[in-house]
Amino acid sequence: MPEAFRLALAVAAKDIRAELRSRTALLSAIVFAALVLVVFNFARDPTALAVVDLAPSVLWVTFALAAMLALNRAFTVERENSALDGLLLAPLPRGALFAGKLLANLAFVCTVEAITLPLFVLFFNVDLTDTWLGIAGVTLLATIGFVAVGTVFSAMAVRTRFAELMLPVLLLPFMVPPLIGAVQVTSRLLAGRPLSEMLGWLRLLALYDVVFVTLCAMAFSAVVDE
Amino acid sequence: MTAARAIVRRGLTLVTLAFVGLAGVYVLALGHTPIEARQGLAQKIFYLHVPAAWCSLLAFSLVGIASALYLWLHEPRLDRFAAASAEVGVAFSAVMLTTGPIWAKPIWGTWWTWDARLTLTLFLFFLFIGYLALRAAVHEPTERARFSAVVGILGMLLVPFIHLSVYLFRTLHPQPIVLKPSAPSLPPEMLRTLLSSMAVFTLLYIGLVTTRYGIALTEEAREEATDAS
Amino acid sequence: MPPENGAYMVAAYVVAPVILVGYAVWLWKRSKQ
Repeated sequence: MPEAFRLALAVAAKDIRAELRSRTALLSAIVFAALVLVVFNFARDPTALAVVDLAPSVLWVTFALAAMLALNRAFTVERENSALDGLLLAPLPRGALFAGKLLANLAFVCTVEAITLPLFVLFFNVDLTDTWLGIAGVTLLATIGFVAVGTVFSAMAVRTRFAELMLPVLLLPFMVPPLIGAVQVTSRLLAGRPLSEMLGWLRLLALYDVVFVTLCAMAFSAVVDE
Repeated sequence: MTAARAIVRRGLTLVTLAFVGLAGVYVLALGHTPIEARQGLAQKIFYLHVPAAWCSLLAFSLVGIASALYLWLHEPRLDRFAAASAEVGVAFSAVMLTTGPIWAKPIWGTWWTWDARLTLTLFLFFLFIGYLALRAAVHEPTERARFSAVVGILGMLLVPFIHLSVYLFRTLHPQPIVLKPSAPSLPPEMLRTLLSSMAVFTLLYIGLVTTRYGIALTEEAREEATDAS
Repeated sequence: MPPENGAYMVAAYVVAPVILVGYAVWLWKRSKQ
């Protein structure tokens, strides 16, 4: 068990190091997120809707789109270096490989989210002093869910012709339950609602994570092995 | 080659039979079923919409089951069947997604509503499309079968989560009181028409899938012939 | 007195078979090739 864990971390570290070296995908995802937030601001009528009503949806649409961009980088790097083939030749348990890729993708998406959130606070003048921990928590919970599915679909999409289009087409339906849950919880957090109102959604998010991380670990083997 | 053609012929026969049956259902629904007092003639859309929904769900479930079995058994026939069921499922989903709003407008006053059934069908539609798009983008048959199977299984398991999300969403957001289009207990003539329509639609599903399966078989045989030459 | 919404019924009863028959015909054409 500890061996597999160590291997997973090694895979993750390799990917993260590769991205830190080039930094292009990370930067473009962040710039993209910032632009989306700006557009949202100009697309709304400040007198018609209170920020607190619109804020959760804006935040999560931005997160979802930026995550898609960040996941894209997962396979662009692969394709350019044929790195995955090299990894597969090594006697690496597929579960560990998936865990490593998942951790790396999670690190990227969470980094983009972590930088987007302060921008969001800035542009939309939202006060998160009491709620930032809760927001961080629900963000992590939801992100794990769709990054797990995204990792499997990235591995598939890289082998297809229209890879950049294939990933969103496949992934977006799977992002919906985590997205709905995340928006519901975020909106209640921002409105200062009690925890009891969020439990149903939090349970949904947790269940989704457990089911899909497990499933995707198995699916990943089916995708990468001949 | 001829075995495949025989399958196609059998499928098309079933399809023709089903369409004859559909004509019968039309006669039944329009001429021999009472008009619902509160909803009027529009309620009769029910006899097309519900069987289409049943067939979409059937098609989708079978794609999921065939996908799971394929990953276990690696039998190409399962993959061929899944692809056929997905394509036919798109057709039935399209019927559901068109008849649904046409029914909703006079009854609920709005073309679309995010109720459980319509929302779910919309998702099934997108999952089907994604599945078919993936198949079109992968050329190597075993790889295509493997990838499709993964999407098929993941999609099948997504459905309960969509259902749960919509359910949670609706219980926490009180909806205005609306007429419920499907009454809990149907008068016997309506039930008879509905069940007849369900049977005809199921026959149509079987016929279309058989035909599509046969076509896939002929296309594969043709590809092998051109590869060999 | 039931509401006057027969037009919707006709629309649905036309659209549904158009889709299904259309798909069936397309399959039939493909089988002929």
